[in-house]
Amino acid sequence: MTTQEKWAPLEQSSQDREKIWSKNRTFAGDVWYRFRHKPTAIAGFIIIVLLLLFAFAGPLFSPYSYSDQDLSIVNVPPLMKVYRLPDGSHAFISPALTLVGADSGGSLTGTLPTVRDEADKRMTIFDANGTEVALYYGGAKYVVADEATGNIYPSSYLWNRDHVLGTDALGRDILTRLMYGTRVSLLVAFVAVLVNLAIGIVYGGISGYLGGTVDAVMMRVVEIISTIPLTLYVILIMQIFGQQLKSIIIALGCVYWVSMAQVVRGQVLSLKQQEFVLAARTIGSSTGTILSRHLIPNAMGPILVTATMLIPSAIFMEAFLGYMGIGLKPPLASLGTMCNDANANLRTSPHELLIPAAVICLIMFAFNFVGDGLRDALDPKLKK
Amino acid sequence: MVKYFAKRLGMMLAAMLAIIVLTFCLMHAVPGGPFTSDRKATPEVEAALNEKFGLNDPLPVQLLRYMDGLLHGDFGPSYKYSGKTVNDFIETFFPVSAKIGLITVVFVLLAAIPMGIFAAVKNGKWQDMLIMAVATIGVTIPSFVIASLLIYFFSHQLGWTPAYWDWSAAGYILPVVALGGYSVSYLARLMRSSLLEVMGQDYIRTARAKGLSEFQVITRHALRNALLPIITVLGPTVAGLLTGSFVIETIFAIPGLGKWFVNGVSQRDYTTIMGITIFYAAFLMAMTLIVDIFYCLIDPRIKYES
Repeated sequence: MTTQEKWAPLEQSSQDREKIWSKNRTFAGDVWYRFRHKPTAIAGFIIIVLLLLFAFAGPLFSPYSYSDQDLSIVNVPPLMKVYRLPDGSHAFISPALTLVGADSGGSLTGTLPTVRDEADKRMTIFDANGTEVALYYGGAKYVVADEATGNIYPSSYLWNRDHVLGTDALGRDILTRLMYGTRVSLLVAFVAVLVNLAIGIVYGGISGYLGGTVDAVMMRVVEIISTIPLTLYVILIMQIFGQQLKSIIIALGCVYWVSMAQVVRGQVLSLKQQEFVLAARTIGSSTGTILSRHLIPNAMGPILVTATMLIPSAIFMEAFLGYMGIGLKPPLASLGTMCNDANANLRTSPHELLIPAAVICLIMFAFNFVGDGLRDALDPKLKK
Repeated sequence: MVKYFAKRLGMMLAAMLAIIVLTFCLMHAVPGGPFTSDRKATPEVEAALNEKFGLNDPLPVQLLRYMDGLLHGDFGPSYKYSGKTVNDFIETFFPVSAKIGLITVVFVLLAAIPMGIFAAVKNGKWQDMLIMAVATIGVTIPSFVIASLLIYFFSHQLGWTPAYWDWSAAGYILPVVALGGYSVSYLARLMRSSLLEVMGQDYIRTARAKGLSEFQVITRHALRNALLPIITVLGPTVAGLLTGSFVIETIFAIPGLGKWFVNGVSQRDYTTIMGITIFYAAFLMAMTLIVDIFYCLIDPRIKYES
């Protein structure tokens, strides 16, 4: 039942009427709020954190190193089609037409020894713990059979326990190489973007603030640099400094600041007309102070967005260099070199390409989503 | 307007000059000359080669001689392939790149513009979401990954197309899709957002109010203005597609200019690299200028001040 006092008017004071009841948020809090409420952005952010963990903490838990080779188990996929041998163990047909033994749990026991080759029957005979089994390679699909009767052993699928993502053409563990490759990609991206931020902000800031002839000359220089194909610089710098991580980072740092400089210049050009700059100049602030204390902080939104968007293109460039064979030297792994190495065995072992390609795509998506989210979150016009 | 374009042309020439000098210096900063190789030539042979190509002269003299040649349309001899000139390379390999590029440009325009328009018309519906999802994938996935995946699925698994470019009609399909994938996605997104922006304008409401069908509103009124941003980015896109992509040409073994460029760099064939770089830069600048002129012709609102 409703009682009388529930309907009594609240005590009101003039103070309450002026009070802002909604939560008071700082700009950073506001940005975080909007970022948090965009599912793609937060998904991208979580993926990046997971990738960082995978790349930097992952190798600690891996029993292999990126350069450990085991030539007896090359090109083994994650999901193996195995044949059940008479003694209860399993065998997997490697792309090189040898039999690799496996126990029922999915652990590899190594290549079975070859006994003889029956070329007229199109069979190779292997020794599986005492019994002879034949690998028939005459038809379109290779099968493991009993030599005398020609009976095909039953086949099934087993997950690779020792090498969860399989092995590559030199028998190296793909999961471990993937961790190192991701580490290289992320490292290149972050360092290149930091260098770009530094150069781009200083260059663009000076060009935009000083204006006039200085601006015209500086922007012509930017135009000239951006007209020459980016690959040319990168390849030349690789020739000078050698094929190592350092030179990839130097090369990317040298080139990518151009777009950053253009963004900063545009921002500074529009900001410098505003009154607070005039006020700062009136009280005698130097050009450096105005740029660093007043203009750049105000342009930080677009700068951050451009930086996030530069990360995928830096990763792409590193992967591209690796793919073209002018990236890191083997046995060092990067996602691009892994894709490149996989191309030789693409037909028989597609997992070697698909796995690193998937990680490249994942990284690109994550950073693009975060960049998109940041752009929307930093735009005060979209405030709800 | 003529004055504006004359000024632009002047600036282009100055930039061209700077590019020539810059590439020339960069090329000579690279350690190792064009005649350093594993097979050590006798000092006499090396001296004779250096003498023949004038590599013993001071750098400024070499630069001036090179620029003199450029003015006569002569990119100089190749250092690596005796008897061949850089002009030969460009004449042989550019048409291959340009042919594939041209087909790709047509493919990009035919795919991207209808996709963008359709997505904008179906704004917010599942068709829009689907097209934008595909476009986002196309923008984010690197072209070499797309190319490798295409080869794996369509050549190795399904056997529909050749895995390498073999001058046959079917051989064009994969390179064109891989080369144009990014541009299609990018232009489709651009087309969609620009059409959506135009559709919110007052004159579109007027067109609807006077009883035009939605089809007529879009084709007669909205599309004209919505195409402007597309034309802006078309210049660099077309130049990039026509001059060939290093990655795609390497993956599909296409004997184009891009592949030759990478070859030239690893073999330190100075004149080839410089020739192709200058050719590429000139092409890019010319395309940008042509687009600007076009822009001015189709959009009467734009007035260039000199």
